[in-house]
Amino acid sequence: MNTSATTRIGLRTIALGYLLVLIGLPIGVILYRTFEPGLATFYASISTPAAISALNLSLLIVGIVVPINVVFGVFTAIALVRWRFPGRGVLQAVVDLPFAVSPVVVGVALIMLWGAGGWFGAIEGTGFRVIFGLPGMVIATIFVTLPFVVREVEPVLHEIGEDQEQAASTLGASRWQTFWRITLPAIRWGLTYGVVLTVARALGEFGAVIMVSSGFPGVSQTLTLLVHARYIDDHNTYGAYAAATLLMGIALLVLLLMTVLDRKRSDR
Amino acid sequence: MITVSNARKQYGTFTALDDVSVEIPRGSLTALLGPSGSGKSTLLRSIAGLEGLDSGVVTIAGRDVTKEPPQRRGIGFVFQHYAAFKHMTVRDNVAFGLSIRKRPKAEIARKVDDLLEIVGLEGFQHRYPAQLSGGQRQRMALARALAVDPEVLLLDEPFGALDAKVRADLRTWLRRLHDEVHVTTVLVTHDQEEALDVSDRIAVLNRGRIEQVGDPVTLYDRPANDFVMGFLGSVATLGDQLVRPHDIVLTRDRAVALAEDAKVPGSPGVIEAVVERVVRLGFEVRVELRADSGERFAAQITRRDAFDLELHTGETVFARAAHRSSVIEIDPALAI
Ligand SMILES: Nc1ncnc2c1ncn2[C@@H]1O[C@H](COP(=O)(O)OP(=O)(O)OP(=O)(O)O)[C@@H](O)[C@H]1O
Ligand SMILES: [Mg+2]
Repeated sequence: MNTSATTRIGLRTIALGYLLVLIGLPIGVILYRTFEPGLATFYASISTPAAISALNLSLLIVGIVVPINVVFGVFTAIALVRWRFPGRGVLQAVVDLPFAVSPVVVGVALIMLWGAGGWFGAIEGTGFRVIFGLPGMVIATIFVTLPFVVREVEPVLHEIGEDQEQAASTLGASRWQTFWRITLPAIRWGLTYGVVLTVARALGEFGAVIMVSSGFPGVSQTLTLLVHARYIDDHNTYGAYAAATLLMGIALLVLLLMTVLDRKRSDR
Repeated sequence: MITVSNARKQYGTFTALDDVSVEIPRGSLTALLGPSGSGKSTLLRSIAGLEGLDSGVVTIAGRDVTKEPPQRRGIGFVFQHYAAFKHMTVRDNVAFGLSIRKRPKAEIARKVDDLLEIVGLEGFQHRYPAQLSGGQRQRMALARALAVDPEVLLLDEPFGALDAKVRADLRTWLRRLHDEVHVTTVLVTHDQEEALDVSDRIAVLNRGRIEQVGDPVTLYDRPANDFVMGFLGSVATLGDQLVRPHDIVLTRDRAVALAEDAKVPGSPGVIEAVVERVVRLGFEVRVELRADSGERFAAQITRRDAFDLELHTGETVFARAAHRSSVIEIDPALAI
């Protein structure tokens, strides 16, 4: 095909302009506003007790959600690929549900289930708060991040097939030994990728978490909630920019890690 | 020794194994031979415990293992597509069974070295399976299976994924290995040449049933039925019987043919036929013929006989079965 130079340059300009306006500019504005008053101001803004608490809470949620998703995700993927059982088709569909349901709806559903007057609402009487407490935020985050590990591990399991696992069993390995020595090493890149996606999503989750959090600064605010609260409630625009930059920084780190791992994976 | 008694296996309404009983003598190399879908893999995997039987009993070395998982059957299994542990070196692959058994490091090292030497992979121990050829991978898989000193070695079309030349080499190599190691071996194959070449016993399977078990010579020369006869080599229809093409004798003279045929009891008689084509295949010559009845068949004769007969297309010859040839009556129920 022979595209003229002007057409080519034109197309390139449109593509770049599109990316710039939609992604580059917003990020650029935030970064500019954040660092405009200097690093010291930025640091002061992200080291307030509320900001530190938000960072800790976000990391705590990630720290709880990731191991749970890894265990259940790998188990579910193995069940879906290796086992034949009634209801497998239903499970297959249910795993994708979190992708389809809006996070806000998830939040509402959780309140109806666990909140005062909900099906499991009686649990509040025992002093264990789900809604407006950490458990609610963890459950909401698990809900929205559930598919990542399953969907990353599943195709890898398909691809490696059962031969290696059967070979291990004929060589005397128990199911458990086979899992640790054969299956896990074979799926490790898919699993890592799933974890990275889970972390990124868990950090960034807003809609479901805001519904089930009491949102007290320094107590039950995650980083995303902090950004929201500073901007909307406190009219502290600069504080919102700074917190957003911190959130982006962590997400960027995760993204970087993902790219490095991805490169490693395709090298093999 | 392995015995399988009255083994049955259904997949839904499909019967993969239909009351199969077979004995595999200690120290033998037995081939399970049959067409695709005849149940060879199913039978082998049932012996290994990778597949459960609906009913029937499997014993290995006198022990009833029907209810035992693969881990406790004392088997070595080699898969058609190698099933190499991709993330482990050749050395770790071979050592796997021993390290599961928690043997001392020194013993594992010694044994793995020995095995790598036997299978000719000494220089390859630090490679990964992806860096090996198919033949090398399969030899690694064999070493891996042998490492645990299995009671029996089970091979499911181990050379099926390899090209013809490598396949023939490995076949010879396997035969020699078996003569050295003497472990009871079952080899699944759909290639009759492979079965005749390496095994000392053959069990022929068809549609989930055993058709015949015996040594290669018996099966080739005295097949129990036309299926076995047809599966172990090419056949020609002579009159109402099946004969091997190389057992057909062609003569120019009807009287001579009749006189010779009278000496063969139960022979299909003398068939008058017209030569349709003469194909020279180096050492052999294939003569394609059409009988009076319109039936087409081919005879395989030596170069010298062809030379003496001076056959040309369109000429008439008299065909009969040679002395002591394998002849099978066509079962009218099976005839198409
Ligand atoms: N898991 C299964 N589910 C349903 N049918 C099966 C299953 N495994 C095997 N079969 C059927 O059982 C029959 C025997 O299969 P088997 O694998 O034993 O054949 P085979 O003799 O090894 O053939 P091949 O030479 O093609 O490997 C086949 O018709 C196959 O379709
Ligand atoms: Mg098979």
